[in-house]
Amino acid sequence: MTGLRALRFAWLTIVRQPARSVLGILGVAAVGALLFDMLLLSRGLVLSFRTLLDAGGFDARVLATDMVPFSGPRLDHASTLAAAIRALPEVAAVQQVRTVRATAGDRSVASAMGVDDGEDDGEIEIVGTDIHVHPVWTIAEGRDVAEDPANGLVINRHLAETLGAKPGSKVTLRGRCGDEASMPPPVTFIVTGIATFPFDTPGDDTAGTSIASAARLCGERDADQADMLLVRSRDGVGADTAAAAIHARRPDLHIVTNAEIVDQFSRLQFSYFRQISSVLATVTLFFGFLLVAVLLTVSVNQHLGEIATLRAIGLTRARVVAGIFWESVVMVGTGGVLAVPIGFVVAAWLDRILRRLPGIPTGLHFFVFEPRALGLYVVLLSAAALAAAAYPMRIVAGLPIAGTLRQEVVS
Amino acid sequence: MTAPVVEARGVSRVFPMQAGAVTALADVSLRVSAGEYLSIVGPSGCGKSTLLHVLGCVDVPTAGALRFQDRDVATLPDAERSRLRLREIGFVFQRFFLLPMLTAWENVELPQAEAGIARAERRARTAELLDYVGLAARAGHRPSELSGGEMQRVAIARALANRPRLLLADEPTGELDQTTGGQVADLLDRLHGDGTAVVVVTHDAVMAERAPRLVHMRDGRIVEDSTR
Ligand SMILES: Nc1ncnc2c1ncn2[C@@H]1O[C@H](COP(=O)(O)OP(=O)(O)OP(=O)(O)O)[C@@H](O)[C@H]1O
Ligand SMILES: [Mg+2]
Repeated sequence: MTGLRALRFAWLTIVRQPARSVLGILGVAAVGALLFDMLLLSRGLVLSFRTLLDAGGFDARVLATDMVPFSGPRLDHASTLAAAIRALPEVAAVQQVRTVRATAGDRSVASAMGVDDGEDDGEIEIVGTDIHVHPVWTIAEGRDVAEDPANGLVINRHLAETLGAKPGSKVTLRGRCGDEASMPPPVTFIVTGIATFPFDTPGDDTAGTSIASAARLCGERDADQADMLLVRSRDGVGADTAAAAIHARRPDLHIVTNAEIVDQFSRLQFSYFRQISSVLATVTLFFGFLLVAVLLTVSVNQHLGEIATLRAIGLTRARVVAGIFWESVVMVGTGGVLAVPIGFVVAAWLDRILRRLPGIPTGLHFFVFEPRALGLYVVLLSAAALAAAAYPMRIVAGLPIAGTLRQEVVS
Repeated sequence: MTAPVVEARGVSRVFPMQAGAVTALADVSLRVSAGEYLSIVGPSGCGKSTLLHVLGCVDVPTAGALRFQDRDVATLPDAERSRLRLREIGFVFQRFFLLPMLTAWENVELPQAEAGIARAERRARTAELLDYVGLAARAGHRPSELSGGEMQRVAIARALANRPRLLLADEPTGELDQTTGGQVADLLDRLHGDGTAVVVVTHDAVMAERAPRLVHMRDGRIVEDSTR
């Protein structure tokens, strides 16, 4: 009851000074939107990167060494190893991945003649996987490779456009493996579908096929090699336990969980964004605090007579102090709520700009929403509202009633 | 003799100032009984308003004691002192001090709402009070839409909202012409007739004469206290 009345009073104070209140609310909305965006930015890359890593539901990777994937030595006897790991009780699925670089049959001629455009070097990344296991790509159109195990190929949209290919088209690829001298013979595939690959960047030409077909592009018949194995831990077991089980069996291999990769990236590569967003969020919050504190202080100083009157007719000190607090809450609250949709729009806009940077995977975002960000936003704004109200609240708490009323008569 | 509503015992109020301390009240003792009607007069600056502020618990004496209904006000926490002002004391100021964003009705209703009076009772009381001061027709108007006399009558209605035992009026007619001032004074007479103790500070001799008890002040002291 008392709270409601205090809130109504705060509301009355706010609506009777429309210019000041609109200024305050708009200011908080602008500041809040920026703050909200900085919170989305601070963990956006990490969250979005994690989503890409988690594509297909695999939560750990097995490599031959701790070198960056696809640059180190391959895993030998990959299918045997995959089966052995798959047999572990902690593991639900294992996918083998072998990547090969290739060019389209007619493209090799073009690049040999030097008519290739700069950005697009005509090179295609072929991802070979076990077609009996959940794929790492997502089919957008047509069917998966399993449709045609021997010759099937899925291609990304960009490659489809480059080659003018669609499901059903024949595509001839030439592997670029090892030294240039040993040019393996070209292989002809049938496009079964169009797929999206998690780590594709906008200009990438990417294709997916069976691991055997990928090996065939390099002229290998029975190599049975993979660049890495993707492991999905059994439900309720967790990536760490699965990784430990694999390590116990094969201590010579390098096993990393998605969480570990994300952790490493967030400590190194992504830390700039976190630092920038922390600095900007702090500055933003400070401006919001300053704005509201100034507006409230000016308002309180303009209405000292009324506050003293309220005290004289019997309102307690706590009650008038709470009134200032509620005024701050209403102003910051209204601005803060307005800020969220504005924040989303601005975040989408900034995200589009940042994602134009070269080499950014299509699926990667800089600004990502998570409930935690909203929670933190509410906490930070509330703290700012409270801090902004602190000084005017002190003025009101220490206001001498008789002296102020006297002052009002004199002035 | 009836029990006192409020009693000042040897009260002093000194304002420490840069240019030297000002003694607004020096050893003032005054006892206001229930239902009493008294005027305080004296030259400007003699401490009338200061005494009224002390009696109304909005100012604290630097020496001496104030007892309100036999409780030592100095020992009361802010909440208790506020409760006294809310329920036992009504204030009427020369400058009215109505809340400008509230209507006449809301100004009168506010102290009742603050005191936790139920809505229906509040409505009846507010209507009754506005009727009492002759402003039933102006209930929905804000102070800026009222004349000085009307504002002062709303202020009186507000002061009476919680049926105080003591009404303190500091030059309530100071801003009003003779006719409107007379109306306000009539209202105070009527109030006293209804049993409220009334203390009026005034420069207006005619108004002061209305009260049976007259207190003269000079230089922060009571120099004469007579009852007719
Ligand atoms: N808050 C204050 N700070 C400093 N001095 C004060 C304060 N309140 C009152 N005084 C001083 O105390 C003295 C008495 O003031 P007070 O207002 O009580 O006089 P008054 O009798 O009501 O005068 P008036 O008839 O002009 O209203 C004056 O000298 C005044 O300057
Ligand atoms: Mg005075």
